[in-house]
Amino acid sequence: MKTDVYIAGDCVFSPLGIGSHLNFERLIDGESALVPIKNPDLSDHQLHAARIDDAQWKGKIRNSPYYTRLESLFIRTIEALLQAHSIPPDERTLVLLSTTKGNISLLHSPHTSFHGDRVYLPEMGKQIQNYFGFSHRPLVISNACISGALALAVARQLLQYNDGYDHAIVVGGDELSRFIVSGFEAFQALSNERCRPFDRDRNGLNLGEAIAAAYLTKKPADGAVRILSSASFNDANHISGPSRTGEGLYRSIREALRLAGNPPIDFISAHGTATVYNDEMEAIALDRCGLSEVPIHSLKAYYGHTLGASGLLESVLGIHSLRANRLIPSLGFEHPGTTRPLRPIATPVERPLRTFLKTASGFGGCNIALIFEKV
Amino acid sequence: MESLYIQSFCTLRNGTIRLNGEPIYGTSENTPVDDFLRSAYRQLHVDYPKFHKMDVLCKATFLATELMARDAGPYPTDTALIFANRSSSYSSDEKHATGIYATQNPGASPATFVYTLPNIAMGEISIRHQLHSENVFFIFDSYLPEFLVPYTATALYDKQVREGLCGWTEVTATLCDVLMYRVGRSGSMAHTVTNLKRLYNDHE
Repeated sequence: MKTDVYIAGDCVFSPLGIGSHLNFERLIDGESALVPIKNPDLSDHQLHAARIDDAQWKGKIRNSPYYTRLESLFIRTIEALLQAHSIPPDERTLVLLSTTKGNISLLHSPHTSFHGDRVYLPEMGKQIQNYFGFSHRPLVISNACISGALALAVARQLLQYNDGYDHAIVVGGDELSRFIVSGFEAFQALSNERCRPFDRDRNGLNLGEAIAAAYLTKKPADGAVRILSSASFNDANHISGPSRTGEGLYRSIREALRLAGNPPIDFISAHGTATVYNDEMEAIALDRCGLSEVPIHSLKAYYGHTLGASGLLESVLGIHSLRANRLIPSLGFEHPGTTRPLRPIATPVERPLRTFLKTASGFGGCNIALIFEKV
Repeated sequence: MESLYIQSFCTLRNGTIRLNGEPIYGTSENTPVDDFLRSAYRQLHVDYPKFHKMDVLCKATFLATELMARDAGPYPTDTALIFANRSSSYSSDEKHATGIYATQNPGASPATFVYTLPNIAMGEISIRHQLHSENVFFIFDSYLPEFLVPYTATALYDKQVREGLCGWTEVTATLCDVLMYRVGRSGSMAHTVTNLKRLYNDHE
């Protein structure tokens, strides 16, 4: 018999601050973490991006100099989550890390003193395991831009079928680096102003960084949200371009809805990177699922695209939206700009909320849909 | 949960490709990995022009997948893909990083950058075999059938899919250590940790 799995706690560490409630409040106030950044370590050009300030993490963990910048960000976020929920680091606790590139900023970087092995993701997992004394080595998932949302789905499946685990910690994160920035620049995917998801004048994405963490349990604690269903399908179409028909995303949403028993959906937390083709693909997939009329937001104009964190970060903020019965506006949207209609949320209205759909899509043609319900 | 079986398996290691344990292609152990994969492609009469654009991780997993299709037939469209390795997409990471930090004409190429994600290998296979299914790429310190076997069993049961295409896919510019296998609901070799350890260790 499959057990239900709940999200009983969460934490977000972003340029807007540490704490998921604090981050939610900032979004309701309309604050964006995106700013012009001129940093020769990241790019020769000025970027519009969201970066965590050094003062927010430096010296805030034990033996700080021993850990890389990204490891420090992960550790600080996990520490806050463990303390808030008194989670034991024992063998009943499963730990999943989702990241696209981990410590890749160290690779061939002229400025690093860390051992070359640290760019391998299992090494990063080992550092985090040792810091907290976790019984299990963290499982690492690296699936492009759906990594964070997929890690939630995988953790749920592992808890549902494995009596050996009582609960799980799922943590997603990536940091800005020259490695990543130069790649997106080469794709000409970056916007030089704050991005505009789903808008007529959208012209590309912004990169950002954040760490998001969720605490999954098999018991419905106070204020917990149940993961009703998840489904993931590949487009089988192109390794870097979104499908013209939104096939994989369409199948993911349709299957997630079916598995959840077709509940009414109160809002959609979309991927919405603000590239021309991605947002168009999402509009097509949602229209095919009959969801064009559902209020929708993308959070990319607040945080930028946070890669391996994004699916998890946006799920956590969606959960806060459910709890507060308040919709988060889709910042950056003004004029409709997709061939199929959408209903981006304009203001942070209060209304009873029970269920939302989270979607994500990524390079390699992967897509995922998750449905969350307040208990 | 129903019993599952290993229906076909393929290893690429030390310049040799074996299908269900039988060597079907061999070159010198010291052949660079990319040369080994390219000559195998030619010798085994695979015809798929996109192969030449792929990085070594994609080439190796593509070949293994292709050979198992010849052996055990086409993949059902819902085949779940579950891969794992240690170095993620290191060969492409290295190439991209070398380009951006080059002292002369530094720069990034989209054709390289797109391969700096390990799950691209699953994307290539999905396109080739028209698989609309779940893809999960795990990163482990070493080959870990103790995790993959029960994970695959629950994934197939949970998603009610017929087959899984799984494997340990550790490929860098200098090392090719691949064991891929098809898991399904019929066959003669049980999908167990013991069998998967044996298949991996038999050809060390």
